[in-house]
Amino acid sequence: MTDKGKSPALPSDDLQAIVEQFNASHWRSLELEFHGSRLFLSKDSGALPTWDNRSSGGAVATVATLPPPPLGAAVTNAPAAPRAGIAEGHVVVKASSLGTFYRSPKPGADPFTQIGDSVDADTELCLIEVMKLFTTLRAGVKGRLVQILVDDGVMVEHDQPLFVIDTNG
Amino acid sequence: MADPVARQPRLFVANRGEIALRVIRAAHALDIETVLGVSVADRDSAAAREAGRIVVLGPAPSRDSYLNISLVVHAAVATGCTLLHPGYGFLSERPELAELCAEEGLIFVGPRAETVRAVGDKISAKAVAEAAGVPLTPGSGKLESVDHALEVAEGIGYPVITKASAGGGGRGMIVARDAEELRRAFDQASTTAREAFGDDTLYLEAYVERARHLEVQLFGDGEGGAVHFGERDCSIQRRYQKMIEEAPASILSDELRAGLRAAAVDLLASIDYCNAGTVEFLYDEARQKFYFMEVNARIQVEHPVSEQISSHDLIKLQLGLALGTATLPRQDDVVLAGHAIEARILAEDPERDFMPCPGRITRWVPATGPGVRVDSAVQEGSMVPPYYDSMVAKLIVTGSSREQAVARLSDALKRFKVEGIATNIPLLQAIVDHPGYRANAVSTKWLENTLLPAFQTERSE
Repeated sequence: MTDKGKSPALPSDDLQAIVEQFNASHWRSLELEFHGSRLFLSKDSGALPTWDNRSSGGAVATVATLPPPPLGAAVTNAPAAPRAGIAEGHVVVKASSLGTFYRSPKPGADPFTQIGDSVDADTELCLIEVMKLFTTLRAGVKGRLVQILVDDGVMVEHDQPLFVIDTNG
Repeated sequence: MADPVARQPRLFVANRGEIALRVIRAAHALDIETVLGVSVADRDSAAAREAGRIVVLGPAPSRDSYLNISLVVHAAVATGCTLLHPGYGFLSERPELAELCAEEGLIFVGPRAETVRAVGDKISAKAVAEAAGVPLTPGSGKLESVDHALEVAEGIGYPVITKASAGGGGRGMIVARDAEELRRAFDQASTTAREAFGDDTLYLEAYVERARHLEVQLFGDGEGGAVHFGERDCSIQRRYQKMIEEAPASILSDELRAGLRAAAVDLLASIDYCNAGTVEFLYDEARQKFYFMEVNARIQVEHPVSEQISSHDLIKLQLGLALGTATLPRQDDVVLAGHAIEARILAEDPERDFMPCPGRITRWVPATGPGVRVDSAVQEGSMVPPYYDSMVAKLIVTGSSREQAVARLSDALKRFKVEGIATNIPLLQAIVDHPGYRANAVSTKWLENTLLPAFQTERSE
């Protein structure tokens, strides 16, 4: 079951409803992919909630489970970036570091970019601050900014998806 | 800023593996919320599953995640934490972490930054010990001549060891068992020191032929009060890495035991030590004397053996003291009974020079039974990542006597099944079943010099 909807995140009420339906069903497992996140529910083995669910409060942490990875597989440190849900030619820009996310160069100033803006590899997208040390994050690709996934001023984690850039055309 | 103690306490756990899980469980039992900082490699760890929330600090290598002080403190502050537990290893003994926590209004679960700094430096730690009247390894100042060396050695008593004033690494270190040997050693060591360091200045120390590593577990109240939780014997080591630890130290007479504990209490009391700490000593079996080695200003890997014989949860005590919700027990209320032993189970292959063996654990059957405790953060299907320390579990057994504890450890090791990765369990079994260990006739060199050669010969046949 795949949902290729364009909503940036699934409200936790919806998640709860999905989990309840899953629990009540005779299905052994369920995989759900939506913009920005992947959800895997299984009635087998130990609980391993996905990264995105945990960060949004862990509402399904007790029931969302991953099957144990195949024996001998590599470390499961796949980035939490949306992949299957991302349209062709869209590139996700992720946080280079944990820190506070700022869309403007200083408080009250205009944001570096707005949705719809054209960007190239050198375009500044945001600042990430770690203990008063600011790092500039650049687009890295040429295209058009189509999505901003994080609110200004919040803490982002290492590798967290922040922007989506459409490189088509 | 709001008083951090006034609101619901939230703890940032700045560590990984079994100690992270241990701290998280202790915090939850005290109704303290938890946030765990993880690297990318530890997103699915057991500690991550039990934490109230996880925050991905950075990539797998420690220097980009667990060892980055700014990232750790930023994550703690941004997630609304009010206190931080550093565990052991990683940043636990970095005074900068305690300092930054203080600046950011976070309670650091451990000693004050200046204490961490004072005891973290070897020379200043020795000065602290000396000022508190704690015995140091007998030695000399700079030696003027070979005659001066002979005179000093008479005072210390043989054997002695020469050391180069300008350097270390074993160069210029020669053991002398009598005056004749010392004459030769002095000339030879001077030459080596001059060639190696451009300075032939030597000093002399008592050489400890059969050494034991003994240490005392303590807590301080930060105001000159200190209480001990008994001592541990951690003499089973390989390359200064402890492998088996036990409490109490059966080798000591009652008089020496009392002296050792009192010395450790005096030391920490003299510096108004706060929270958990350990004072390590070298015990010279021939001279029947103990000498100060160092202070570890943090909780230690082997703290469970002290918990087992004292019936105190030391992690909960750390958290309670840090929050001000607990007070230090009186010394009389720390009643020590029984004997506990901890064996460190490592993902290392003792038959291949202790090569680390990270990988997927395909079978994990930890020992259970009376007096058996396993502190671990792995289970069947867990991945042991290659980036960190190789310890996967601590097997802790408790008995009414050393004999009973040793028997339980031997039995528990036989029942502890791990597949998918190589472990040191066969070596631990060989140690515990060796007559030398059973008779408690070991030293810090025993594992390397006596047991390992026999173990490796037997295995290769």
